Amino acid sequence: MRAALELAGIRKSFDGFVALDGAAFCAEWGEMHALLGENGAGKSSLMNIAAGLYAPEAGSIRVGGQTARLAGPRDAAALGIGMVHQHFKLVQPFTVAQNILLCNPLSRDAGGFGAKLKRIEGEIRVRAAELGFEIDPLQQVHRLSIAEQQRVEILKVLLAGARILILDEPTAVLTDSEAERLLQTVRRLAQGGAAVILVTHKMADVRAYADRVTVMRAGRTVRTLDPKQTSTDELVKLIVGDAVTPPQRRARLPGEVQLRIRGLQLGILCGIDLEVRAGEIYGLAGVGGNGQPELAEAIMGLAAPSAGEIHLEANGSIAAIPADRYGIALAGALSVAENFAIGEAASGRYGSVWRLRQSSIGATAQAAIGAFNVQGVRSVWQKAALLSGGNAQKLVLAREFSKRPRFVLAHSPSRGLDVRASAEVHERLLAARDDGAAVLLISEDLDEVLSLADRVGVMSRGRIVAELAQPADRQAIGRAMVDHA
Amino acid sequence: MPERRFALEIRQRTSWQQQGAILAAAVLTGVLISTAILALAGVSPADLLKEFVVQTFFDKQNLQAVLFQAAPMIMIGLAASLAFRVRFWNLGLEGQMIWGAIGATAISIFQVGPETTRLPLMFMAAAAAGLAWVALPAALKLRLGVNEIISTLMLNYLASNFLLHLVYGAWKDTRTAFPHSPQFRAFERLPEFAPGFSVAILLGTAIALAVWWLTDVSRGGLYMRFIHANPRVAEAVGVPVRRMLLAAVLVSGALAGIAGFVVAAGQEGRLTQGFFQGYGFSGILIAFLARNNPLAAAAVAVLVAALFVTGRSLQVFYQVPFSMVQLIQAIIVICAAGSEFFIRHRVRRIAPA
Repeated sequence: MRAALELAGIRKSFDGFVALDGAAFCAEWGEMHALLGENGAGKSSLMNIAAGLYAPEAGSIRVGGQTARLAGPRDAAALGIGMVHQHFKLVQPFTVAQNILLCNPLSRDAGGFGAKLKRIEGEIRVRAAELGFEIDPLQQVHRLSIAEQQRVEILKVLLAGARILILDEPTAVLTDSEAERLLQTVRRLAQGGAAVILVTHKMADVRAYADRVTVMRAGRTVRTLDPKQTSTDELVKLIVGDAVTPPQRRARLPGEVQLRIRGLQLGILCGIDLEVRAGEIYGLAGVGGNGQPELAEAIMGLAAPSAGEIHLEANGSIAAIPADRYGIALAGALSVAENFAIGEAASGRYGSVWRLRQSSIGATAQAAIGAFNVQGVRSVWQKAALLSGGNAQKLVLAREFSKRPRFVLAHSPSRGLDVRASAEVHERLLAARDDGAAVLLISEDLDEVLSLADRVGVMSRGRIVAELAQPADRQAIGRAMVDHA
Repeated sequence: MPERRFALEIRQRTSWQQQGAILAAAVLTGVLISTAILALAGVSPADLLKEFVVQTFFDKQNLQAVLFQAAPMIMIGLAASLAFRVRFWNLGLEGQMIWGAIGATAISIFQVGPETTRLPLMFMAAAAAGLAWVALPAALKLRLGVNEIISTLMLNYLASNFLLHLVYGAWKDTRTAFPHSPQFRAFERLPEFAPGFSVAILLGTAIALAVWWLTDVSRGGLYMRFIHANPRVAEAVGVPVRRMLLAAVLVSGALAGIAGFVVAAGQEGRLTQGFFQGYGFSGILIAFLARNNPLAAAAVAVLVAALFVTGRSLQVFYQVPFSMVQLIQAIIVICAAGSEFFIRHRVRRIAPA
């Protein structure tokens, strides 16, 4: 009788692609239950079914022991199921209170709109204080940081009466300390009797916070076990099917300076000085929101600096792997082949200005997606938006690296990717370095920076506040991040 | 809780055959609804079949009328499609069309060049004038970020008032004293390639093929697809966004100018004061229904022209009021536009669990 949410034999397909098949899942009251798996394993799809967003083709849903039929998110909310999505569902120009009221229509006798808004403001203040959130209900959402927006999302589902809380990749957008704070908060909710489901691919979060973990692979739930009784290797094996080997790195002497930045100012950036040499990976660590996107856009030529200069030795042959995959790197509505070909279309590789040879584009794209192990491509003429996160990133790598770049800019290249896809991305970056390219790696993931970089810089408040040679002291980097923040 | 038996899904891929079949089914639905309405108004379905299908496409005179109407519509539809492909909402098609006709008429009035090159010169002057009229809003958008929806729309009023200024003033036909220009000379009018068939339709077809080449075969076509899909991505992956946008918009203006030339030199034989009315809306409609595909735009333009011609004969021979003709045209357009939904989505039956 302790089961809060039970899903059994769930099947769901999208236009012929089977995303879930025979998936089973059970979360109990009072537990924090992690759902672990690679990108595209079906975690989000399964939880979207639980939240009433997708209708399953087969299988049953039971909430609190009762068979439930969910015709939409409202039905799920009525049964106490609330989901915080990876991409927040907030109306940016609205205030916190307006957003929450939008999803919690109070009963008619609560009065008019103004009265309802007042009442919900009060409820937000009370609930936020209980959870230790500092939220002003009258603040507009677009003025809030990502972490604050996430707290608004959590408040939203809790005030709607959710007792089964689903968090989809909640820590992907947070810094280490923010993530820790969040997970502790939801852990308290679980201890208070709620069922918390944590969808993630971060092993560390699972091991530190989850009571039980269910592993998914290729649309099926593989096994449910106790993370504290299971080794990391064992979990990784369940997730990917076989073990992943860490990248090998060769010693290499850095060469000529390929990128030189002097006194760069743009937005939050206030005087960036930076040099990256051929054959080295310069890792720029730092908490998000300290000027990383501005720096990346300035180097890519998307934003004009207000002062300072950027000198690129390798004019033209620069490979850019931006953090915002579908915002800057790929046009989701266009085909895989077109997204690949645009990288070198101007060079005349596929034909003259007057005639692009489709056959040449198709064949080259086909060869490249094979070489870069881009999976899930049934035809190179299918939309790029159909690729999962990891495969989309590999498509970006295939395009950018086929230019044989002398300078590589990689901004959070493994964000949102699973273990195996991250490893492949890292291998490519190391291979580019070994081939003599200069690589600037901007990442909020300290482990990534430490495992790849030859030199480490720390970014804070629009400046590079420290530069360390490898092996860099983790504590020293952490202090540099915090001291200047 | 109600039991759900149907699910609405987004289609991940739709082949062009599927798209064509869905569109055809939608248009057929529209025709059936229209038939029902007309039957209630006293036009028997058998007569309607004869009138619409047989008369419009198999009667030579009606076919001539349809193609005569279609030529400028093809041009204006292409102009709209090309601008929309780079997300430039060119609502100034009519203004550019007016300037195209003014440019062509100026060549006639000032008798520029010998007789043999007069018509090509008029063509070029029309293209140049249409291009020049869109250059201003294009430059304002690129340099200062001025919204082109407002600037192109407002410039239409400027153009139409200047047209009135000409036909009521300096260019007024002194022989008839009506507000239109003197009639073009025989060699200043578009000839017929067969009795009753103006070369305008050949010109329209050739330009549709050229625009298709530009959007689907050339490198610029790939660039335009990226600009349409996501301008930021286009910029980041090295598409010359501003140059490409400017080029597409200027060609769009030139095509609208050519549409003005086709009406003036191919239909009216002179510059008149209201020749452009309704073309702006038709152009946007054609581009929308053709989803900015140049070849589809040419086909849709012919269909719109056919609706127009049939509507006219319904009015004349069956005393159907004009408002009902408009209603029928609107029903067919709404059905075609609604097919978009079924092209993007699928309704699927779910077996009860």
